Amino acid sequence: MTSLEELRKINARCIHCRACQYAYSGEPDREGETEEYTGMLQGCPAGIYYGWEGYFNSGKQWIARAFLNGEIEASQEMLEVVEACTTCGMCETQCPNYIDTVHVTEELRAAIIESGVEPLSKHKKFGEMVSDEGLRNPYKEPRSERTKWAQEKYGDLIDKDVKIGYFVGCTGAYRQQQVADHTASILKKLGVDFTIISDEVCCGSPILRTGQKDVFRDVMEKNLETFKDFDLLLFSCAGCYKTIRNDYPRISGKPLPFKTRHTVEYVYDLLEEGKLKIDKEYAKKVTWHDPCHSVRHVGIAIEKEILKNSDNWLLDSRKAEKAKEAHYEIPRVVLGAIPGLDLHEMYRIKGDSFCCGAGGGVKAQFPDMALSTSKERLKEAASTGAEILMTSCPFCITNFNDGIKALKKEEEETGVDNSAVGSNLKVVELLEVLDELLE
Amino acid sequence: MEYNKVTDEVVAKLTNICGEQYVTTSEPLRHSYMARGIMGLEAVVPEVIVRPANAEEVSKILVLANDNLIPVTPAAGGLSGGFALPAIEPGGIYMDMTRMDKMTVDTENRVLVVEPGVKSGDAWRIFKTKYPDWAPPIPDGAPPAATVLGDAIERGFSLVTGVYGPQADMIMGMEVVLPTGEIFHTGSWALPGAKPFYRWGIGPNPDGLFLGSQGSMGIITKCAIKMVPHPHYKTVVAYGGETWDDIVRPAWEISKHEMGIAERTVMVQGGNYELVMTRWPKTNVPVDYEFYKKIGVDRKWMNYEVWAWSQEELDETLKGIDKIYKDYEVREKRTTPQQNLHPKQIASRLKKPNKIAIPYSLWQAGFLFITWYTPWLESSAMMEEYCAAMENYGFPPTMWVASIDHARQAIVMPILCFDSTEPGIYDKIREFNMETTKSFLKKGWINYRPDPFVHAPQTFSQAKEYYKMLVKFREVLDPNKILHPGRLAIPWESVTDLPNPLKEGN
Repeated sequence: MTSLEELRKINARCIHCRACQYAYSGEPDREGETEEYTGMLQGCPAGIYYGWEGYFNSGKQWIARAFLNGEIEASQEMLEVVEACTTCGMCETQCPNYIDTVHVTEELRAAIIESGVEPLSKHKKFGEMVSDEGLRNPYKEPRSERTKWAQEKYGDLIDKDVKIGYFVGCTGAYRQQQVADHTASILKKLGVDFTIISDEVCCGSPILRTGQKDVFRDVMEKNLETFKDFDLLLFSCAGCYKTIRNDYPRISGKPLPFKTRHTVEYVYDLLEEGKLKIDKEYAKKVTWHDPCHSVRHVGIAIEKEILKNSDNWLLDSRKAEKAKEAHYEIPRVVLGAIPGLDLHEMYRIKGDSFCCGAGGGVKAQFPDMALSTSKERLKEAASTGAEILMTSCPFCITNFNDGIKALKKEEEETGVDNSAVGSNLKVVELLEVLDELLE
Repeated sequence: MEYNKVTDEVVAKLTNICGEQYVTTSEPLRHSYMARGIMGLEAVVPEVIVRPANAEEVSKILVLANDNLIPVTPAAGGLSGGFALPAIEPGGIYMDMTRMDKMTVDTENRVLVVEPGVKSGDAWRIFKTKYPDWAPPIPDGAPPAATVLGDAIERGFSLVTGVYGPQADMIMGMEVVLPTGEIFHTGSWALPGAKPFYRWGIGPNPDGLFLGSQGSMGIITKCAIKMVPHPHYKTVVAYGGETWDDIVRPAWEISKHEMGIAERTVMVQGGNYELVMTRWPKTNVPVDYEFYKKIGVDRKWMNYEVWAWSQEELDETLKGIDKIYKDYEVREKRTTPQQNLHPKQIASRLKKPNKIAIPYSLWQAGFLFITWYTPWLESSAMMEEYCAAMENYGFPPTMWVASIDHARQAIVMPILCFDSTEPGIYDKIREFNMETTKSFLKKGWINYRPDPFVHAPQTFSQAKEYYKMLVKFREVLDPNKILHPGRLAIPWESVTDLPNPLKEGN
């Protein structure tokens, strides 16, 4: 599906039941550790923050319908409501009518912009920078320096003629080079014969999420051309992974010419095949945050792929759900293979996980909502008693660290102890830990 | 009836009442409150949305609306998920009551007091953790966002409707804001300082005027509802059959066993195999009954949900139900086998709140619940006729039926699955509704949650004296008719071209 019009019938399934506002909307008796975290819980970051129906998916589906039916014209005001959503997909997990809620939201954003409304200011800048041949990233960094992080340590791996590529992504290349470094190191330790490609450009995730589809198509085509002869692409960025794995084939209308795997999944594969064993200890109390992109969105895509090929959903829906659930187990299997790691799960996890608050263009354009959402999740993480909040997504890490900074600042200003709501948590990237533990 | 539009001056006054943060004229946000489907098809986009915090703010908004002759629609999101939306041009003020979400539980007097914004999912969670021995008065079969108060004042289902009747029968008192702004309480609550312990209170009780009126007579801002215990020995059994009578008649025999096994049989509800089939896409599920037969789904079946204080009580009840079925088979020479339910199926049927009523949009793209009440034993005839009419109009004959108050009444609910993007589909549904309504009214069956444009005018065209009485009350309570007509067809001309009963024979 590549346009809002093509999603008309899917959007028309919405009967405004609002089950999508609740995490665990089908599990009233789910047991939690505390009274606050038990049963069905509100789970939409935008809806919780703004309160108006239009910020929940349930309201957005009806804005989309009004737009499709010509009852409302595209406007800046409308774009502002529709863009204030992290596209986390919590709502999509809940929908018994299998509405592709995130696609509808993203296509509605695109349709508004295609109607002539300017993208929101911060989003527009992303688009301009990614379109710029001299940049091709949303951080305004020179394109020529995309592989600078690797030149000293991994110079021999740049533009090597092999069949496995490490898609670094803009954040790894320009902002969180340590994650790129750890990933390259892991892959080397695992004996992967891979390369880092200097021609790589932004995957287009922030561009697609914010409705700028022309720019997105441009970078998608560029990357597909660059990587067309590869067998496998590996990722460290959850956003790049989801975009290339799920969105490229959907929007290009063609299957990917290569396989894709997030590095955490690659480690999982080796563990499952018995080819890897982690011996070093990580003796810490950890809670795990599922990145929406690499966990929920990929899980949902797996489920819907099975259903797409099924002529009997009544029988195959369980099989599809099992496959989705199996995907959600991947990071847990990896964490379980680390000796000494003491995992304490949060209440809202897997498909029902509560977003960090950074996705969908929200961090840049709606920083207050991003921060408030981050704090809500940090509180949930702190309720587990863990010292480490572990995840594997550069945006989650940034937003959680910003949340912790804000909590510490509040502590300094008011003298109130915020440790119960997460001020003492340490945010750690799983790839960093794996690099430390692997021999 | 001519109303005024919402002006900037009115918006400024609403802002003074509720605060800037809780008033919006944003076009996309106004559209976000729309709904067409599940419980009703007609809706008009409101001009302004307000989110009052308490009854006092609700009162001030109504006074302002009267002063300016602007229509008002209150809604908290009940109605099993659908919204009650204004069907009055030009749209007027839409009151989103979700901020009013306080709930107090009095286990001593066995009463729960809720504001309009308390949702079933939250009520269930709070009861589960704090009051596990009490059943929250939430609707059975509704999703988590359905509101407790909305269900009660709409006379919807509870978890124990098979025994106690509709949720409205459990109401012990209400706080009502009249259309002219006065705030009053019903039942014993009317006496300052008194608890809501006696429904009939200090005088004739006007509750019935406000229940089922969807806010047409006044806005209910608090509701005290009886709580019943929540014994934890629970199960579901189901029996199949070939005809509607095969499931309706044994259920009647079980349910009339009052003071006996019927008291523990809290929910009795059933349907046909199409109820399973149409939960999936038309193009991606078998449509031949043979498939459903193979997987153990009877053509028709009835579920019995049983609650008991002990395993012995539970077993005794199940034995009683089974005996009635066995006797029925012998006496009537019918086959009504007990279904072999997997523990997961039982757990799924016991789960509340749930999403069981939602997936019917998958069949095509949209659905509508139409609900009728009949004396229990007449429900078979109604379902026969309804299913035939559905097939005649090209809809799958998806049918659900449930007992109310020991099978004194049946709620018969066809689920009309359709493609809401198909041109002319709403006209087709209206035609179907019109045809079946005319036939059913002649038989003395009545619509529950009437479509304001079909069922209500058709019914009141026949029940003229009742309509005249309703209008008299409405004129006293809401002289400017600022509250939306709900399902009462007041003002008559806003919903129909039929002759106005008020003008006939006078």
